[in-house]
Amino acid sequence: MRSVLFAVLVGLIGAALLHIVIVLTLPQFTGRDAYTRVLGLLEMDSFFPLTMEPGPTGLDNNDPFLRTAVCSFSVAEGPARFLARGAVPFWSLSIFDSGSNEVFSMNDQTAVNGNLDLVVATPIQLVELRKSPPEALAQTIMIEMKDEEGYAVLRALAPLDSFEEQVRSFLTESRCEPFQR
Amino acid sequence: MFRVPLLVAVALIATFGGGIASVLWALKATVGFGSIAIGPWVAFPEAQTLAADPYAKAHRARAGELLYGGAEGLMFTAATDDSGASLSAACSYDISGVTPPARFWTLYATASNGAALRPGPDVPSAINSWTVLRAADSSFVIHASPIAQPDNWLAIRHTGNFRLVLTLLDTPTAGSSGLIDLAMPKIVKTGCGHA
Repeated sequence: MRSVLFAVLVGLIGAALLHIVIVLTLPQFTGRDAYTRVLGLLEMDSFFPLTMEPGPTGLDNNDPFLRTAVCSFSVAEGPARFLARGAVPFWSLSIFDSGSNEVFSMNDQTAVNGNLDLVVATPIQLVELRKSPPEALAQTIMIEMKDEEGYAVLRALAPLDSFEEQVRSFLTESRCEPFQR
Repeated sequence: MFRVPLLVAVALIATFGGGIASVLWALKATVGFGSIAIGPWVAFPEAQTLAADPYAKAHRARAGELLYGGAEGLMFTAATDDSGASLSAACSYDISGVTPPARFWTLYATASNGAALRPGPDVPSAINSWTVLRAADSSFVIHASPIAQPDNWLAIRHTGNFRLVLTLLDTPTAGSSGLIDLAMPKIVKTGCGHA
């Protein structure tokens, strides 16, 4: 009887260790984290507008008043540039790395003239951009990302149904593309 | 003769059963540490950052949701009313008061698993700071109810429990540690059933 209790006790200690191991490693193998879902849309380098119903990888506009577009990008070859302009009551953008950690976020009031113009680059690319800044990037916000892959989430607000048209054109005309000088 | 293998089997079952079950339980019970709670409203302002704790990272990797960045907004969720009882779709609730400062807010109901309730286009299923009707001091009362209500009605067409989600967009609240002093709307049960 004592040896059974001992076995259970050993098992529980093992369970505690296993608990820690699973929690720490789970982000690497769930296969349904936000980055994998964005990648699964198979849209590199352009914003993909989500719908109200869950799409092929289970992403949707979860807030009834916010329209969301996502874009996966890579800065391995060169910087990525994000552009959007238009009159919507509110928009916001977040950049996440491949581990779904927030790298940067902004909204229309923290943007220059209310327009989105952002370049994401690796530290080395950023040094080169700063050394000889291209004319086109005079008003651009430049941010540094250590990870090479990531995704961007652009949200625009449609507080009333009549804003739907404006918001849709804002999202479809927004761009997420590799930057070439 | 089979005593030792049996003991090893018992230990292994306890290890894997206990380990996996406790992880599933922990990830279901909470989004992680670092929550801020104001009455029944709970938010996780750091869940999307690198500074999030391992439970928050495991949870967000399993849930796979697009979280709000710090400059975007902060999402508060309430699963109970002010008295601590779970929100039941058979009951009516009054959500009253003011929100912390924000440029915009939205309020809608979700099922317990987080999927938004969509009762159809005929009834109001979500309210925002532009469409809400306010009193002269800019406070508001929203009636979350399965039965049609005058003034601000948030229609709940569901069975079982539900949650309320209040999202503050562009709010200084997200970066503030003095959040506990801020006021969130109260959620008070006003009655149950078709009375």
